[in-house]
Amino acid sequence: MTWLTWRQYRIQAAIASAVLAAFAAVLVVTGLSMAAQWHTLLTGCSATSTCGSLGQTISLGGSIAGHDLVLLSLAAPAVFGMLVGAPLLAHEFEARTSEFAWTQSITRTRWLLVKVGWLLLAAAVWGGVIAALVTWWSGPRNALMQNAFEPGTFDMQGIVPVGYAVFATALGIAAGALLRRTLPAVAIVLGGFIGLRLWISQAVRQHFMTPVTGYLSATGNPAPVGSWNLGGGMSGPNGLQVAQSFSKGAVFDGMPISSLPQACQSLANSASPRSTGATFRCLNAGGYHIYVTYQPLSRYWAFQGIETGTFATLALALLAVTLVVVTRRDA
Amino acid sequence: MTWLVWRQYRFAAAAAAVLLAGFTTLLLVTGVQMASEWHSALVTCAALHNCGNLSSTLFLGSHAVGFLVIMTLGVPLVLGILCGAPLMAHEFETGTNQFAWTQTVTRRRWLAVKAGWLLLAAAAVGGIVSGLVTWWSGPDNALQGDAFNNGRFDIMGIVPVAYTLFAMALGMTAGALMRRTVPAIGITVAGYIAVRIAVTQWLRPHYLSAVTHVYGLTQNWVPTGVAWQFAQGIITPDGRKLTQVDGTDVSGNVQVSMVPAACHPLLNQRNPGPVLSCMQSAGFRQFVTYQPADRYWAFQGIEAGIFVALAAALVAVTFVLVRRRDA
Repeated sequence: MTWLTWRQYRIQAAIASAVLAAFAAVLVVTGLSMAAQWHTLLTGCSATSTCGSLGQTISLGGSIAGHDLVLLSLAAPAVFGMLVGAPLLAHEFEARTSEFAWTQSITRTRWLLVKVGWLLLAAAVWGGVIAALVTWWSGPRNALMQNAFEPGTFDMQGIVPVGYAVFATALGIAAGALLRRTLPAVAIVLGGFIGLRLWISQAVRQHFMTPVTGYLSATGNPAPVGSWNLGGGMSGPNGLQVAQSFSKGAVFDGMPISSLPQACQSLANSASPRSTGATFRCLNAGGYHIYVTYQPLSRYWAFQGIETGTFATLALALLAVTLVVVTRRDA
Repeated sequence: MTWLVWRQYRFAAAAAAVLLAGFTTLLLVTGVQMASEWHSALVTCAALHNCGNLSSTLFLGSHAVGFLVIMTLGVPLVLGILCGAPLMAHEFETGTNQFAWTQTVTRRRWLAVKAGWLLLAAAAVGGIVSGLVTWWSGPDNALQGDAFNNGRFDIMGIVPVAYTLFAMALGMTAGALMRRTVPAIGITVAGYIAVRIAVTQWLRPHYLSAVTHVYGLTQNWVPTGVAWQFAQGIITPDGRKLTQVDGTDVSGNVQVSMVPAACHPLLNQRNPGPVLSCMQSAGFRQFVTYQPADRYWAFQGIEAGIFVALAAALVAVTFVLVRRRDA
């Protein structure tokens, strides 16, 4: 069976290796030049002790080609799911080769498990190689921007891309088993993968652990550098809470000025460093505190683990569905 | 033939209509909300005379809807994958072309009507999505002034329609060539992304030659309107252009490493004035290279033209392939 799987997929394996090799070549070349640039920058700024303001004065682009490829790596799991996962069973049904495969001496379960096992392993390798390259390439940028925990960057580094790739492939296999046609299965992978990924990254991930709350003061933001900032609000003297909103006109440290107590509004409107301290004194005297909620950087790997686990569990559930569908079907 | 095309694609049409309706509703609701937020922010800041720093304090819309809008970058590709690639490939795979090609309708007419309607439908979907996104982004474009930048340019105006036609034509041609759906999808994904990146990075900046504005070291100058800025820096007296490198800034585009030896003693962290006027009289100037805002629609037209021409060439190839093949 392993030999059969290899025979069926050797061309795909060759193409995938070529794509990975090209991806690696671009990322290694642009990544090395970016790392060198970063090293020079650090040497330069530590000599003049201006490293603190580096984030504002420098853009560490690397080459544009590398940057585009890194962004595109977000779609790599879906591409594997569409081109390998979706046709895995759907094409067998469409071409009726399942009838031949299922009337051999090998049981259907074994046929399915070996095929699916090898291809999920391939998906994990695909996701893992891409994620490793992107993680290495992003090293200097992560250090400069401190945004590795933010949605978007979190999703293409570390171990989560492996979970995504395995999930997208399992989704394609299950959709193919249920729908028995390649194209609808491809559509399900596209819609399902994008929909679930968006929903989890936008609405679910922030609740993996209870966020930490810190209070803003004139001296700055309490969230340590590199935290994932979840927004905040203002608590009043009676426990009154106003949610943070950047969209209601002018803001003072994230709070709409119109929602501040009357007495402090004019101070907040003249946004100079000196009045910032006065505004905070005015707010605190009235019993108001502006807070932010965040996930500290120390939870990064816990979040990576939880997210990967979530997608791996979903993939297992989809495989169970596939197994049931395939063993119950008449040939 | 038109009736046949409708029969074959009515479920796909219904699915596309449902998705479009959902997208339209979402954008209309959030767009109207955002436009009113923008309006009230303008009224407030005009009263307080601080409209200048609005772009750093105001965030319009929600992250989730913003994500969705950015993801419309992928709409042409999805249409090419789901509608373009299987158009010919699935006929070959199931052998239904043998039936279709042995009827009274000629092969050329069969292909022309099918491809014609599907390209038209795809262009309509691309146009509706782009129209909605363009309208929705109005306040954000006004706030950020970045509609000409890569990424924003690609989801608004008329270019998405041309991208859609190209993706569809690419899928059709790949299908006619490979005669199998999954490889055709693979070619569509790789080809579309490669061509789009190549055009965006290497062709688009050169559609019209960029304008370079030269101005004094002590002046401030930015291009008016929604311009697309490429580079800025200083010009040395002998005409070399120095752009910002890794180093310490003096002021504006001037960095410590660019200061000539004659002016070096005047370096002062608190007051850059003397160094700048020393360099100014030595003949140093600042420059900005950019594409002016009034070229936006010319660039949209050129880029759309390129992709429509590519699509036309691919459709022609498909016709040749289909006519030459034995049934």
